[in-house]
Amino acid sequence: MMNPVLSRELRERMRTGRAFVVIGVFLAMLILTVYLVYQGTTSTGQIDLDLSRQTRMGRDIFEYVLLVMLLLVLFFVPGLTAGAIAGERERQTLLPLQVTLLRPRSILVGKVLAGMSFLVLLLVASLPVMMVAYLLGGIRVIDGAKGLGIICVVAFLLTTMIASLSTITKRVQTATLLSYGFTALLVLVGPLLYLTLAIADGSKGTDARNPPAVLVAVNPISIVADATAGEVVTDGGNPLREVRKFIVESKSRNADSWFAWFPEDDFGAQFRIVNGRTGLPAWAVGTAAWFALAAAMSTLAVRRLRTPAETER
Amino acid sequence: MSDIEIIEIEPTDGQDPDTGFADTLLPRNDVAVHAQQLTKRYGGLVAVNQLDLVVPKGSVFGLIGPNGAGKSTTFAMMASLLRPTTGRITVMGADPSKKPRTVRRRMGYMPDNLGVYDNLRVDEYLEFFAASYGIHRSEWPTLVDGLLELVDLGVKRTAMVNSLSRGMKQRLSLARALVHDPELLILDEPASGLDPRARVELRELLRSLNAMGKTIVISSHILAELEEMCTDIAIMEAGKLLASGPPRQILSQLGGARTIRVRFADHSTETFTVHDDAGQTGLLRRLLVDDGREVVEFVEESGGLEQLFMTITEGVVQ
Repeated sequence: MMNPVLSRELRERMRTGRAFVVIGVFLAMLILTVYLVYQGTTSTGQIDLDLSRQTRMGRDIFEYVLLVMLLLVLFFVPGLTAGAIAGERERQTLLPLQVTLLRPRSILVGKVLAGMSFLVLLLVASLPVMMVAYLLGGIRVIDGAKGLGIICVVAFLLTTMIASLSTITKRVQTATLLSYGFTALLVLVGPLLYLTLAIADGSKGTDARNPPAVLVAVNPISIVADATAGEVVTDGGNPLREVRKFIVESKSRNADSWFAWFPEDDFGAQFRIVNGRTGLPAWAVGTAAWFALAAAMSTLAVRRLRTPAETER
Repeated sequence: MSDIEIIEIEPTDGQDPDTGFADTLLPRNDVAVHAQQLTKRYGGLVAVNQLDLVVPKGSVFGLIGPNGAGKSTTFAMMASLLRPTTGRITVMGADPSKKPRTVRRRMGYMPDNLGVYDNLRVDEYLEFFAASYGIHRSEWPTLVDGLLELVDLGVKRTAMVNSLSRGMKQRLSLARALVHDPELLILDEPASGLDPRARVELRELLRSLNAMGKTIVISSHILAELEEMCTDIAIMEAGKLLASGPPRQILSQLGGARTIRVRFADHSTETFTVHDDAGQTGLLRRLLVDDGREVVEFVEESGGLEQLFMTITEGVVQ
């Protein structure tokens, strides 16, 4: 039987106009991105017959769309998921739910899957926009699948974290503020720490500005940039490429750390990428860190939902 | 051999050898809820203080007390939502702290706050809870029809929940608590905020449910209503149990005065004060036999439970 919380959430969600507004805004932002990139890369507004420039434009559109998609996910997930449990508390529906035979884990899973289903709907709805880049060339189907796949993973882990966070507050408004704060922290904590340590290294008067590169990897933009890297990652030109360049540089400054280092044997060679990105992939490290955080938070959330409890929650 | 299990009573001190709690003299199969020295503390606040309570099966048990008396906390412990700080409680023979799912299968709980999902239809709302109790999809249509007929919401089957009046939402909540056909219903202030008609309808509904064999534990501020409905009551104040048992028995034990209004054939009316059932019988005999008066009406003035409540409680607020 389908998770009852999931089926109820989907039914309720699609009944409100809010869902369609979100889909509309999401698609409008992506279409606007394609339009602006297209206008920005062609001087005449005509289709360029130079194949290399055209494929470069296809790649640019794809990467900009991915970036905007990720930013929209980071913006919408807290807003759509913050009320998962806090909303049940606020409208006083949690107690009747807790005295049913549903286990706390099922309640949380239902909430996460409901949030995720909606995000998948958003991503599927954006496929025609992605197709523009595909038609121009420069990307393969596998690139598109990798891009959407990694955004789905980031969205799923963030949804899990925000739904878990939702168990600690009683009001949706508080949960929403907390969720946006938490997401901002998640996005900024790595780069800010990296920057701070780099400045600290610099102030020592040495040239060795080499803070741990892993700090860069936990940033969601780094995760998406690294996972969708094409053949040449060091080519500049758009934000995702700049992030990739930064990851490669920071890893090369940490050549002896576990994050950058990889054994130069046959086994290691399988994981080496021809463009010089040696070591553990940043996207894998970042995703693993997010996964660990999501697992810890959801475990605590299930404990908070468990009844009988010591105090009324 | 009878399937009724009698709780063993330790011959020496009458205590449960495992817990040290005194056992009830009622056969275990006749007890729906049994609380022993039940205590719930929140930091320095004692919400429920060493509560001893026995709710017989098949009864309509009213838990009465002023705001902050600990009724809702007691209900939350019965409903497997809160863990007692000390003491023990069994609900339908199981400990809600240790076997919450066993208790939940046999108990329906309606909290004092009316929380419903506004964006669902009435039938979808009940189907959701049927699914949450693991009831198979094929049973939903019959189940929902039956429940809606029982709570008289059949005509609202496809209406959105947010379009229902408060009384209807209250009845829908009751239907929700009944979705898995529990033997015990725990209803926290089910009549609060209802207009007189809705209250009467709810009372009739609870009577029907009791007639169907369900044990009902109910709290309410409307004492006259509980008086009409309850077979047993418990009065709580500041977390403590002040009295428990059938209302008349409590009145007799406390020696509370009862006012009897008598109307005679000559259209005159007189009021008398008695202290118990025996006094009431004696008064009637005296009027009819000794005085030879023609009595056409002999009524105990209502307000007994209210009077009892006021006599027992002191208005202590924690």
